[in-house]
Parts: sequence; structure tokens; C-alpha cells
Amino acid sequence: MSRKSSSQLMIRVVLFLLLTLIIAPIIYAVLASFKTNMEIFSSPFSLPSSWNFENIVNAWQVGNFQQYIINSAIVTVGGMFVVALVASPAGYAFSQLTFKGNNLIFYIVLLGMALPVQAIIIPIFFHLRSMGLVNTLTGLTLVSAALALPFSIFLMRNTFRDVPKALRESAMIDGAGEWRIFWTVMLPLAKPGLVALLIFTFMNIWNDFLLPLVLLMSQSKYTISLGLYSFQGEMATNYSLIFGGTVISMIPSIIVYLIFQRSFIEGMSSGSNK
Amino acid sequence: MNMNLPTVNVSAQNQNIVRGQRNNKIKRFAVIASFLSPALILYGVFMLYPMADAVRYSLFDWNGASPTMNFVGIENYARLATDTLFFRALGNNLLWVVLSLTLMVIPTLVLAVLISKVKRGKTFFRAAFYLPSVLSLAVVGVLWSKIYDPTMGPINIFLRAVGFDFMARNWLGEQMFVIPALVIASTWAFYGLYMILFLAGLQSIEPQMYEAADIDGAGPIRKFWYITVPSLRNTMNVVISMVIIHALKGFALIWIMTQGGPFYMSEVVSTLVYKTAFSMNQVSYATAQSVVLGIIIIIFTIGFNYYRERTE
Repeated sequence: MSRKSSSQLMIRVVLFLLLTLIIAPIIYAVLASFKTNMEIFSSPFSLPSSWNFENIVNAWQVGNFQQYIINSAIVTVGGMFVVALVASPAGYAFSQLTFKGNNLIFYIVLLGMALPVQAIIIPIFFHLRSMGLVNTLTGLTLVSAALALPFSIFLMRNTFRDVPKALRESAMIDGAGEWRIFWTVMLPLAKPGLVALLIFTFMNIWNDFLLPLVLLMSQSKYTISLGLYSFQGEMATNYSLIFGGTVISMIPSIIVYLIFQRSFIEGMSSGSNK
Repeated sequence: MNMNLPTVNVSAQNQNIVRGQRNNKIKRFAVIASFLSPALILYGVFMLYPMADAVRYSLFDWNGASPTMNFVGIENYARLATDTLFFRALGNNLLWVVLSLTLMVIPTLVLAVLISKVKRGKTFFRAAFYLPSVLSLAVVGVLWSKIYDPTMGPINIFLRAVGFDFMARNWLGEQMFVIPALVIASTWAFYGLYMILFLAGLQSIEPQMYEAADIDGAGPIRKFWYITVPSLRNTMNVVISMVIIHALKGFALIWIMTQGGPFYMSEVVSTLVYKTAFSMNQVSYATAQSVVLGIIIIIFTIGFNYYRERTE
């Protein structure tokens, strides 16, 4: 017994040490966002001499971060909406409806999961330009949603596959049409999968860098990732302000994570294991 | 006379049934199309069509601005085959793959095993260790380039403070250090995901296996190598393939921290594609590069899944 509890203590100590090491960069950034440039240099590991939010406020004002957060929210929420609305019926059809070519079409969609964005980003840019959608949040939203589709359809197909087919048949005998069955019977049962899908989509679109970098040109359209990147360039030597901007950019992701932490981690483990 | 009547009726009935069946078929098709078409249209317009276009662009000579495109066949690919910069980028991708496999797989597994052994507070450790992975790569990139900063960065300040001045250096500016430094930042950003996958895998191992090993008197290290690692084969496969694919696709961190520099020392294929297309305006040549990268990744992904299905 005592050998067991001492090994428990050992594991805890090791884990806390590792955790300190892992969290150190985040702590460093938060502390530095309260410091002056001089202080960051002369005492990088100490607490700031005074806790004022000057850097964060300045970064917020100078760096246009309010605009970036609004833009990110528009693209992310819009993308989540489109993905959920389009991928769930498709995943349902692939898992529960029998039709010719079901497997073939599904494999073509699945191919998209292997296809890296890098391989098609150039045509996407020119394609969007010819549609007049380059440098618009609409264009970025549509492309982000489309790129998320293969995995989302795959996830929803797996979710609906676990729903017993008998449920569909009995609803059919009651005279319900396919869409009615989908909305009132199936979708509520697929809630866990849908939640995982929404979390994935949120993380991917909110954190994306490459698509905004290629598809957005004017600063007023920037999302938070692109905004922070350009802010770092403009403020190259003003470390306090850069850390202020970095902390601003960290906060939304961390808040969302803390709220949805449990379903977040469950979604990650189930979603990627399938 | 009367004999014919019923047969006519029957055939009319049959016709009605056939017509009804056809109507049903059309209705059925419309229903299925209504479920699938929004997804398929979006997928077709923004993925399949660009995929075909990527191949098309790569066979032309085009700068992205001129109204005409010159067909050049496989000339872009021939140029690629002798482009030392491209091979250097590909080589950096491979180095990136090797380093991330070393840094990510076993250390992350050990971390997951430690967390799974904790009796109370498992949820806390799992959530806390995952924290860096929720940050965007833009945040990770900006933060770590400041950590590596030659004068203001905490690493160098610490090394100088403890008298190891000779070890302080420009981490992102030297050939020997730039890629390892980038991979460390990327490990920090991604290990959480693999840790969670391993934790999920660990839960599915039968506790009886460990009990049997305990009876045989096996120590923790033996149990790790002879029970944990083999039982996690599937998870291990998933993690290894994800690490490799991530390493081949890597763009954001490198672009934010070094832009592939200095002097192409951290250039990878995706940063090279971006530069070639959007700063050098060699759109068709860049597309050829991206097609090759895409093919490498697709072959790898499909080959890996095929292997996994066969061994499962």
C-alpha cells in the first residue's frame, strides 16, 4: 500500500514538473505582456513590477484586434453553419440510404481527406478571383467550409451508421418522409457526433493561417491569425506590444476550450480514432 | 373474345405499375439528391475542380496575370527534376519528418502512460497538458520566435546568466539549429493531440494483462515494452501517419517564424510553393511543385490506410 502511494506521489511530482515546463511559454507571454521592453530584457523570468493592462489595451487599439476577432467570428461561425448544414444530410445519406453509386461517390469524397490544401491553393485563389470572391469573408468562409467537408462527411457517416436501421423503418411505416425522419428522428440521435464536428470545425477555421494569408489582402478583412502575424511584422522591435497582441489572440481559444473542455477532448479522441 | 379482355387489363395494370415504379424511382432520386447535392456541389466547386485545374495549370506557362496561357506539356516537371532548391526543400521536409517522429511519438506515449496511472486528477492533467494545442499556430509562431530571439529571448538571456555565453546563439538563423528549433515549437503545438489519442488507446488495454505481468514479476519498463507498446499498435500507426503527414504539410509555423530563411535553410515545399506563386509570379511552375507535394502526400496517406486495413 505505502509503496503504491509513494509511486503515486512520484508520478504526480514528475507530471507537475513536466507541466511547468510545458506551460512556461504561455506564462512567459502573459507576464511579458505586462512588462516594458526594458523589463522583458533585464528580468525576463520575474513578475512584472506593476500589473497594468497598458500593452494589451494599446495592442487592441493600434493593432485593430477588435476587427480581426469580429472577422474571425464571422468566418468561423459561418463555416460551422455551412459544414453542419451540408455534411450531416450527406453523411446520413451515405450511411442509411441505399442507392446506386453510394460507395463510389463516398470514396471520391474520401479522397479529399488525403488531399492537402497546399496542392490546390493556387487554383482556389484564381478560381475565387474569377468569381469576385477573393479578399471577401464570404469567399474565405465557403472555401474553409468546403475543405472541411470530406472529414465532416466521414465523421457524420460514422455517427449515423451507429443509429439502428429499424428506427428509420418504423418511422417510415408511420408515414414520415426521408427529410422528416432526418430532422426529427436521426439528427437528435446524432448530437454527440454533431458536437464533435462543430468543435473540430471551430478549431480548424478559427486557427487557420494559410487560407486567410492567400485569400485576404486588405487589413480590414484579416482574421485573428493573419492579424497577429501582420502586427508582429509592423511592431518588430516593440516586444511589449507584440506580447500584448499575442495574449489577445490566445484568450478566445482558451476560453472556448475551458468551456467545452470535456466534449472537446472526447471529440478529439473519438473523431480521430474512427 | 372474353378471353382477351383480362389480359389487356393485366397489361394495362402492369404498365401502371411500371409507370408508378418509374415515378417512384425519380422521386427516390430527387430525395437522395436533395440530401447529397449541397455537399457535392461545394466539394466539387472548391476541391475537385481546383484539383483538375492544378494539373491543368502545371502543364502551361502562366504568370497568373496574362490573359493567355502557353501550353508547355511536362516542361515544368522537367525543370522541377533538376531544381536544387526544390530538392533542398523536399530534404528539409524529410528532416522535419524524422525529427518530429523522434520528438513526438515515444515521449508523448510516455506522458500518456504517466497520466493514465494517476489515480486522482487525471482529467486535470489531461486538460492542462492539452492547453498548448488549442492555441493557433500564429500564436505559437509569434511566441516561439520571441523565445528564440537572439537578444531579447529568454533562452539566450538564461544561458548568458548562468555563464554559458558560448551556447547562446541565433537559434533561427543558423543552419544547424533552425529546423530543430522549428520542430521543437511544432512539437509543443501538436503533441497534445497525440497524447489524447494514446490516452484513448490505453483505456482499451485489458487490465488483466498487467495483472498477469505483475504475477510474473515484470517491472514497469518491461510492462511498457512488452504489453503497452504492442497493445497500442493501431493507435501507434495512426499517430505515426499523422505526424508524418503534418510534417509534410507544414506551412504556418515556418512561414511565421522564418519564411523559409535564412538562405533557404528552413525552406520546405509548401513555403517554396507560396513564394514561387505569389512573390515570383511563376504560377504554373509553383502549381507543378504543389502537385508533386500533393501526390506524395496522397500516395502516402492511401498506402498507409491500405497497410493498416491489411494488418488490422
